[in-house]
Amino acid sequence: MNDGLAMHPLLEAKGLRKSFEGNTVLSDVDLSVLPGEVHAIVGENGAGKSTLIKILGGVYQPEAGQLLIGGAERRLRSPRDALAAGVVVIHQELSLAPDLSSQENIFLGHMPLNSLGVVDQSEMRRQSQQLFDRLSVQIDPSRLAGELSVAQQQMVEIAKALSFDARVLILDEPTSVLDRDRVATLFQVIERLKAQGIGIVYVSHHLDEIFTIADRVTVLRDGRRTGLERVQAVDQEWMVSCMIGRDFPPHAAHTRSSGQPALEVKRLTVPGEFEDVSFSVREGEIVGLAGLVGAGRSEVAQAIMGLTRPVRGEITVFGRPTRISGPDAAARLGIAYVTEDRKAQGLLANRPVWENLTISNLRRFYSFPFLRPRAERDFVQDMVKRLDIRLSSVNTEIRNLSGGNQQKVLIGRSLAVEPKILILDEPTRGVDIGAKQEIYAFVEKLVSQGVAIILISSEMEEVLRLSDRIVVLKGGQVASTMSRGEASEESIMRAAALAS
Amino acid sequence: MPAEDTSRATKLAGLLRSGGLQSRLRQQIGVVIALLLLILVASLVSDRFLTVPNLLNILRQVAIVGILAMGQTFVILTAGIDLSVGAILGLSVVLFASLLEGHGLAVAIPLGLLAGTLVGLVNGIGVAYARIPAFIMTLGMLSFARGLAFIHTGGTPIPILNENYYYVGNGYLLGIPIPALIFIATLIVSAIVLRLTPFGRCVYAIGSNEDAARLSGVPVRRYKMLVFVVCGFTAALAGMVFSSQLSVGTPIAGQGYELDAIAAVVVGGTSLFGGKGSVFGTFVGTLIIGILANILNLTGVDPFVQQLAKGALIVVAVYVMSRSNRS
Repeated sequence: MNDGLAMHPLLEAKGLRKSFEGNTVLSDVDLSVLPGEVHAIVGENGAGKSTLIKILGGVYQPEAGQLLIGGAERRLRSPRDALAAGVVVIHQELSLAPDLSSQENIFLGHMPLNSLGVVDQSEMRRQSQQLFDRLSVQIDPSRLAGELSVAQQQMVEIAKALSFDARVLILDEPTSVLDRDRVATLFQVIERLKAQGIGIVYVSHHLDEIFTIADRVTVLRDGRRTGLERVQAVDQEWMVSCMIGRDFPPHAAHTRSSGQPALEVKRLTVPGEFEDVSFSVREGEIVGLAGLVGAGRSEVAQAIMGLTRPVRGEITVFGRPTRISGPDAAARLGIAYVTEDRKAQGLLANRPVWENLTISNLRRFYSFPFLRPRAERDFVQDMVKRLDIRLSSVNTEIRNLSGGNQQKVLIGRSLAVEPKILILDEPTRGVDIGAKQEIYAFVEKLVSQGVAIILISSEMEEVLRLSDRIVVLKGGQVASTMSRGEASEESIMRAAALAS
Repeated sequence: MPAEDTSRATKLAGLLRSGGLQSRLRQQIGVVIALLLLILVASLVSDRFLTVPNLLNILRQVAIVGILAMGQTFVILTAGIDLSVGAILGLSVVLFASLLEGHGLAVAIPLGLLAGTLVGLVNGIGVAYARIPAFIMTLGMLSFARGLAFIHTGGTPIPILNENYYYVGNGYLLGIPIPALIFIATLIVSAIVLRLTPFGRCVYAIGSNEDAARLSGVPVRRYKMLVFVVCGFTAALAGMVFSSQLSVGTPIAGQGYELDAIAAVVVGGTSLFGGKGSVFGTFVGTLIIGILANILNLTGVDPFVQQLAKGALIVVAVYVMSRSNRS
């Protein structure tokens, strides 16, 4: 990027506009991507990032504006068109066929054929190996995609993009599925792609990543571009203010008085998942469970909920040792869990918001023989208000809500059981900054009302901000327990990642 | 500030009121329009169509498949499928016939219904507890129940001579055919169960996302079993009407009816992927298929060609619906 002006952009979007049912979601947005550039796009959920990506990827057609690819105007009527033009999107959720090998995945739809018209396996393998070499990653092209780690699958997706001669690679939240070490590897690969002259559009919620990897950043808010700068020239605050157009309150001072022990876990063991895990949480206290992905944090939560059977150890709820047979039994004890995997384990995607809110405790809205619609409605109304869930109607299918509002609904659902102990598993994953702050404030309110909260989070900032105590898991065991005063990003990382 | 609060509250109340019913109607409007169009066409094609006797006749004719389809809707809403309903119907038909021979109505009807329900229970246990895919479990049951029906009769039909029983399938009450009444009653009870009971709510939740339902404390296995019990019961109920209409307990009764029932559910807008649909939709779907058959009959179309029309209808209906859902 020593002479940006002289370079022709690989891709240029001018004045893009798109609306759905009269709702303008993108208006007058420009974007250019230069060869060898990482161009970050940031913005809250609903700011128009996904719509922009979908236009670039040929999924949506803009109502106004034009796309220039390699200097020539192109209309992308389908993802196929985009592919042919060298624009490839790699989605947050990877989409490999698990039962095909990596090489078959890479060449799916354009496999090399031999003279008999049959797929030329050795040629395919050779080319796959070349692509992996270009990325400097070690993956056996003949291994099934389903056997690869998520990070490796991501590399296969990138190799696949290169196999289509991608000139512009669009990475949508590429690090959301990766733990810290893998992020570094991904960044190395991105650097290599840059060196090969490929332009990269990088969409992320993680602003710190942008400073590490991006050259320029475009900020979107409410479908408009509110900022375009070289990353070197700006700081995080500039981005945040472009994204939200308002200032955040400083972290609330932290003086919590906690009550009696609510949940105690002693030497809990589920073979193959975690071993001898002990910790406790009091009423009015937040205990953070930190650790790398795979350290066993969610697994502990699932054991507490009775989804897996511990072979050893005990769970004590308000002083009483208990066996929990499943989520229903947990709910009766006043324990609720908000899952980390919204899509797979949380949302009743094609059901209305109100049903999503009440499903966890229908008993509460039931008097024989029928459910009481009025009681349900009151609860739903209360939750919409308390959590400030933004929607056009509670009859909307929940899949139409933004990530932040979906998450709020799931938190509301957990409150239907009036929990005294609440386990929040990655409560702000895939949630925009505004909603994140609102969720934090809400969690703090709950805890001040005496709810005991276990917070599982991979976001260091989140754990540090909210927790009174922090339990760090590593390889299925408690590596360290620290008080708020002792904990820092560094001490947690050290406990979570370093050999003891 | 208080003023703001109240306006906010009224807005919220408005959001909530703007209601369940409307949005539900909107979802089903497509099927209803299709039905109305079909009725319009039918009344233009044949002046005999829009007569009370003919309309009642249609209701009587579709009752058996309609009753089957009610239970099938429960299963499909959980993203399951029950291929054995035709065979359960057949089994119950021969049981009704043989029970009527030795015992009275008061014994035959409850026991016949119970038998179908128990077969449904076996399906349910297989699917929910033994985790056999519904397609496989009920495919096996299709063959098994049919086999039982043949063994029970030794292959020869059992005549039904009980005169009171004859009325179940052929009689009228207040001028309405009794099968139609049974069909409507099944519809109403099903709609109430699905809309107003925790079981019904959970049926939708399980079909929408089974894991999420489980995590929300829904007794997933119990309810997944229960939908097959319901389906077994409605199959036997349909068998009761069938055996009475034919006055004979034949072990081949209801062959292929599972497909008609599934077709009615699907044409009625219920998603095979679960979580979306209603028994009202199924009711309309049943009528659409029934009316189409009726017009073709009235206009003297070759029965073989009627098969073509039905097949095309199913595919076109689902195509149109999936298009309209997307937009």
